[in-house]
Amino acid sequence: MADALLEQIRDMLEGQIDFEGQRLAEILATSLLIAFGTLAAAVGFLYGDIYLTLYVFVAGTIFTALAVIPPWPFYNKNPAQWQNPQRGISGVTIEM
Amino acid sequence: MHSALVRGQTVFGFFTTVAFCVAAFAAISVVFFPQAPSTSIKLRNVQVVKGRPHYYSRKKEEYAHVKFDADIDLASLFNWNTKQVFIYITATYPSSRNNEPPSQAIVWDAIIPAANAPSHHNQYHAPVGLPPPKKLKARNAPKLHTGKTGELHLKNQKPKYQITDHTGKIAERGNATLELRWNVQPYVGVLTWTNWNDFGRWKGLKGGRSKSFEFPALKVTSKEKLDTMKGGEGNRGKPA
Repeated sequence: MADALLEQIRDMLEGQIDFEGQRLAEILATSLLIAFGTLAAAVGFLYGDIYLTLYVFVAGTIFTALAVIPPWPFYNKNPAQWQNPQRGISGVTIEM
Repeated sequence: MHSALVRGQTVFGFFTTVAFCVAAFAAISVVFFPQAPSTSIKLRNVQVVKGRPHYYSRKKEEYAHVKFDADIDLASLFNWNTKQVFIYITATYPSSRNNEPPSQAIVWDAIIPAANAPSHHNQYHAPVGLPPPKKLKARNAPKLHTGKTGELHLKNQKPKYQITDHTGKIAERGNATLELRWNVQPYVGVLTWTNWNDFGRWKGLKGGRSKSFEFPALKVTSKEKLDTMKGGEGNRGKPA
């Protein structure tokens, strides 16, 4: 009972996503941060206030973190098709 | 990228890279803002008196008390990446020996904050005067602070510091000038000091030096006439 509960919590914290999701997450993290960095510099420069740059970039980073870190359902749309475990044909067993 | 922890590390790691690039852009961008600082500075009055460096000292030294007028326009030093500009006025005079560089002593200084800089009690804020009476003709009206950051009009300004040098003698030394100097402190980037020469889009300081004068002979004067001015920093944490 306690073990099952612990396993559940561990899964939730680990937040595993599938291979396609990993590719998407990496692209999103990089492009979002670059986009927010550019936007922040442009806004600060045009409005003449470097505090705007700071606020826009911090907000953009928080947004990126929220978009990328949790295992959102769209990162788990292509689960890997694992093969079924096969019984040893020759009857060899490995003791660990 | 398979687990939340690894994704968090990726986001934070790349955040630092982008933050560095944005900061580098801000630091370099200041070169492209044109600067055209100008200042006219005039000696109003100079007196030399005997005094002690501190209360328990038995050594008597000569101190010069310099009053001056200055119209300072450093508004163009303020751009999106300027936090504050430290300005100081030095008395520069030849040293007693010919092979030594000229002596410089600071007479007055101020920290001018940018409009969006966090407030601090050491900052200088120009005294705001009453508007001139209507009867007064425009050309006779005294110049008031325009409210523009970096513009100062100092009239008969008392010094903050009485000056002397290591010889203890300053009376009757000639060929002294008052000079304006500054130090621009940006939010990100390098500190820059007074430039007398043009550099790209930055024009050198126009004016900024008074006519040369001579420190007068030693004279006994009443204490009130030799008042110095205190900046906010003299109040040790209490607001100016």
